[in-house]
Amino acid sequence: MSIDSSAATSDAAAEKFYSGAMDRIRRFMAVIGVIATVAVWIVLGWKVATGLALGCVIAWVNFYWLKQAVGALADRVTATGRRQSSGGVVARFLLRYALIALGAYAIFRVSRDSLYGLLGGLFLTVAAIFCEAVYEVVVSLRRGL
Amino acid sequence: MRKTMSFVFLMLAVMCFAVPVLAQGEHAAAGTNWVAITSGFAMAIASAVCGLGQAKATAASVEALARNPAARPGIQLALILGLALIESLALYTLVIIFAKVK
Repeated sequence: MSIDSSAATSDAAAEKFYSGAMDRIRRFMAVIGVIATVAVWIVLGWKVATGLALGCVIAWVNFYWLKQAVGALADRVTATGRRQSSGGVVARFLLRYALIALGAYAIFRVSRDSLYGLLGGLFLTVAAIFCEAVYEVVVSLRRGL
Repeated sequence: MRKTMSFVFLMLAVMCFAVPVLAQGEHAAAGTNWVAITSGFAMAIASAVCGLGQAKATAASVEALARNPAARPGIQLALILGLALIESLALYTLVIIFAKVK
């Protein structure tokens, strides 16, 4: 009986921990974005740093809209939540690419160095997911989740 | 008849490709920017394959959600992370192209 209750507690703790992954990724994105922008400003100058900061902002917005679009899709499939038009979901999904293209073109007109910074900034999501993966491995090994 | 028509159309297609090649001079061939051309193909292939990957991931997730709506948080998280990582693959190609094409 006590083994069952301890297993249930462990499962609940694991579920609570893993359900917070999305918030942690967003926090990682904010921290990594700020640190990377400051580091690039010091090492490579303000032009690249500006591009990187813009890339980080676009990556952030892109990830947020991706989450919103997937949430809307899940709402539609499971027939829960606020019902949204399928056109709106698809438009939101495609608008992300337009945003990236617009940002890249705008900064390409200003400076090619900034464009490299922008392309680097777009990888903010990957860096945050990688950090989250490492964090999850460390915490799950330490807590035995 | 059908075989003959297929053969004729095949030959026409081959000739369409052959005529510009014959028209090119030596200098024109030397000045071709192959890096730019192959970059275009690389981006097209990367975009197409990433699109296919995203479509497959989305289709599988939607099917899983429809079968088991209670598992929504886990499936949704996996789908978001999967889509973000697949998109980054196309971005890798774009970055390599920008680095190589002058």
